[in-house]
Parts: sequence; structure tokens; C-alpha cells
Amino acid sequence: MTDGTGGARKVKDLAPDENGMQTSVSGHVVVQTKQIGKYKVEVIRDKCISAASCVAIAPAVFQLDEEGIAIVISQDGHDDDTKLLAAQSCPTAAIIVTNTETGEQVWPLE
Amino acid sequence: MHPPKQFTAKLEDKIVFNSKYTQYEFELSEPYNMPFLAGQYVSLKVAENGTRRSYSICSTPAITHGFELLVDLEPQGVGAQYLQHLEFGQEVQLLGALGQFVLTPDPGVGHPDREEALVFVATGSGVAPFRSMLFELLQVQQDTRPMILHWGMRHAEQLFWQDEFAELMRSFPNFHFHPVISQPIDGWNLCSGRVTDCLSVHEQPERAGYYLCGNAPMITEVTELLSKQNVAPERIHHEKFY
Repeated sequence: MTDGTGGARKVKDLAPDENGMQTSVSGHVVVQTKQIGKYKVEVIRDKCISAASCVAIAPAVFQLDEEGIAIVISQDGHDDDTKLLAAQSCPTAAIIVTNTETGEQVWPLE
Repeated sequence: MHPPKQFTAKLEDKIVFNSKYTQYEFELSEPYNMPFLAGQYVSLKVAENGTRRSYSICSTPAITHGFELLVDLEPQGVGAQYLQHLEFGQEVQLLGALGQFVLTPDPGVGHPDREEALVFVATGSGVAPFRSMLFELLQVQQDTRPMILHWGMRHAEQLFWQDEFAELMRSFPNFHFHPVISQPIDGWNLCSGRVTDCLSVHEQPERAGYYLCGNAPMITEVTELLSKQNVAPERIHHEKFY
């Protein structure tokens, strides 16, 4: 019998373990809620000069596309500090970092 | 290429060449070793709020326990002000080594993709990565391919490192240095005008690789000139953050 969730059931009020996994009372791992951080990164394409410092610092978050412009491939590839460092190292400040919990722009400073 | 790391370094020395250009020498504290490729840069933290500025390393990659930067202080931006007020022994935070503006590996004699000669074109502080590349090619690799440095500057009195480049010419006959002054005074008998003019006047070597670093108009002009001379795009390299 399925419940439309592919076999995974939502479990509330169970704290995730150190790996961010939540476990049901029956012992089955049912939901993965691992979230690396609260920062969201965006690339302003027009400002990117393909220096690729972001790729060097956070390769699991940034890559260059076929035009040599940085793109975000994952928000969870690195922790918040690394994402912020990648943004701060961009020579043209082409990466915007936003705190998803507060909505505040963390970088560049306004 | 080594993945970039965060480093702490101390200011060891500085050489004030003139009111515009200063060379800074740093000794690494933690970690104490930063391997880099000639042409790469460091991202220096220049304000407590996390602001960073990128500077090409101008020293030889043979020395990895420290590095040198050449900085144009005239714009008086946040980076220049930070460096100007830095005291000897003071610590800086940096990320390094970064950048892909590096020498194309030599595939060897006879290879169709080989850069048979190397032409470096700089304006102002854009000469910084070329000093590192020339040290690497001439002193470390003992590379005997012809190498030419065209370096554009507004005034002759702003030039520096002429003695070093003259010494390299004496020691390595395959290296030639052409300073180009855009606003020369009487008595300047070398190239004058823009580096693009200098490149037009001097016959360029066959199947060369071109490395450009400096202001954006120069990069555009030289790239257009080389394209008209049928130089393949993959033989034209330029630093992007200047």
C-alpha cells in the first residue's frame, strides 16, 4: 500500500541525527532533511568575467557554463562560510548571497 | 593546479618605486607553504567586512614560503588604502592561489600546438604576472624559446624592474624587453605610443603564444590586432580581473 509519497512518510517532532536523517519510531529512515546552510547564492551573469575564483573555492556550488559564465549547480555543495568566501573573492562582486531565513542580502554589502 | 586555501601571511618588506607603484613582500605564517603557478593571483582580505581585492603574484614560483605583489596605489581604492597602512610584521588574510591565467604547457618541439615563441603584453601593473612567468620560464625551466615583453606605461619615470629585465636579457639571450611610453619626454628613444603601436611596428614571431594583462581597452585592441594578423584565438591568453 502506498500513500503517494513513494513510501516515505513525513515524520514530525523527531530531531534529525548528526547526519541530518530523521528516523521513524519503527526505526526506518523516512525523510532526509539535511540542509547545509541558510545562504542562497545567485550569479549576476552580466557581471561575471569568468575569473572562476568561485569555482576554485566552491566547485560543488559553482561551475562555468559553455559560455564560461559561472552558474550555480547546487545550493548545498558547500557550507555557508565557503559560499560566502567564494562570493567575496569574486573580483566583480557578481555573486549575491542572501540569508534565506531573514531575507537579508549578506553579500555584497549594500 | 592546487586547490585554493586560506592563508595568513606577514608583511616582510616593501619597495616604493614611485608614488604610483609599490612592491609588497609577504612571508607565509599559516600554512607556511603556498605552491602556485606563474600568473596566478591571491585574494586579499582588505576590510573587516570581508571585502577582498585580487592581486597577481609577481614573484618566482620557485619560492613557496612567501610571495610578492605589485600594487598600483594611485586609484586609492579600499585595497590600496589597506596596503598603504599595513605595517611591517602585520598579518594579512588571503586566499590563494587563484586564477587560470597561466602558461600553456610546452608540448615539445615539433608539436603543432606548440607556442614557438612567447609574447607578453602589459600595461601598468599588468606586468606583475609576467615577472613571475619570466622567472619560471627562464630561470626555472631554462626555456630557450624566444620571449618578448612589451610593457606600456604613461611616463618613463613610472617604470620599475628595468634593471631586473636588463639582467634577464644579459643572462638569457632569448629574452627581449620593449618598454613603450605613451607620453614620452625629450630624450626617450625607445618605443613611444601605445603597446598596440609597438606590436604593429615590431615583426611578430611565427606561431607565438600571446599573453595580455592590463587595462580593458588594451586587451580589446591587441586582441583585435592579433586577430587581423590571423593569430588563432587559442593562442591569445589574457587575465580577466584587471
